[in-house]
Amino acid sequence: MTDRTANVTWSGSLMDGNGTIESVDSGAFGPLDVTWAARTEDPEGLTSPEELIAAAHAACFSMALSHGLAQAGTPPARLDTSATVTFVPGTGITKSALAVRGTVPGIGEDAFLEAASAAKENCPVSKALAAVPEITLEASLAS
Amino acid sequence: MTIASRVGDPEGKTSPEELLAAAHATCFVTSLGGELARARTPPERLAIHCTITMDEVEGMGHRIVSSAISARGVAPGADQASFAQAAEAADAGCPFSALIKASATVTVQATLEEGS
Repeated sequence: MTDRTANVTWSGSLMDGNGTIESVDSGAFGPLDVTWAARTEDPEGLTSPEELIAAAHAACFSMALSHGLAQAGTPPARLDTSATVTFVPGTGITKSALAVRGTVPGIGEDAFLEAASAAKENCPVSKALAAVPEITLEASLAS
Repeated sequence: MTIASRVGDPEGKTSPEELLAAAHATCFVTSLGGELARARTPPERLAIHCTITMDEVEGMGHRIVSSAISARGVAPGADQASFAQAAEAADAGCPFSALIKASATVTVQATLEEGS
């Protein structure tokens, strides 16, 4: 079992107030400021829950894909992954779009797509985000 | 970020689960701030801890099984009951809580602090 903890503070109202991701227990990042305006409009250099979810999803997917490719005997030299999470105020999180470009010696396009598709289905963050209406994947090999 | 630091000692590295904990805490705190303002008791200060737990579930591999939120705050005009009610509404309204509840358990503990 693995626990990971984050600590966040907030002062004032939703629209006019502001928050800070003070710390995470690993010490890897923080403090990071957050505001409602930056979450829903121009980020102006501030992160948001959706951006953090995107980072989590891209990282989780990359690990799962790397593991799957290695198990198939074709470990990747490099994977470049992006995740774009869409937030619609009043509706919620409506989409996470994954895109990966891989450098994988000895693999064909079909096998790479299959491995990427399996990673998208099975990585723990994808499972946790299963209620997101749309999770999409674009996968290609770097030529 | 490595597999070892993801499931073992983090050794200064973040992980998908830690990023989700930061996302959930941030999503929840904005919802709670909004709920308290709606109840005309906007918070002076809120502090949220969120712990995401990943476990190996038999036959399913690694799964995110729970997110535990602890909320403390100073909100002039609020009492313990209205603060707890706002926290419950914040959980219902936070988009990330709504999502993760489909596959994991979400718990919320709310404590109004002195100074309110």
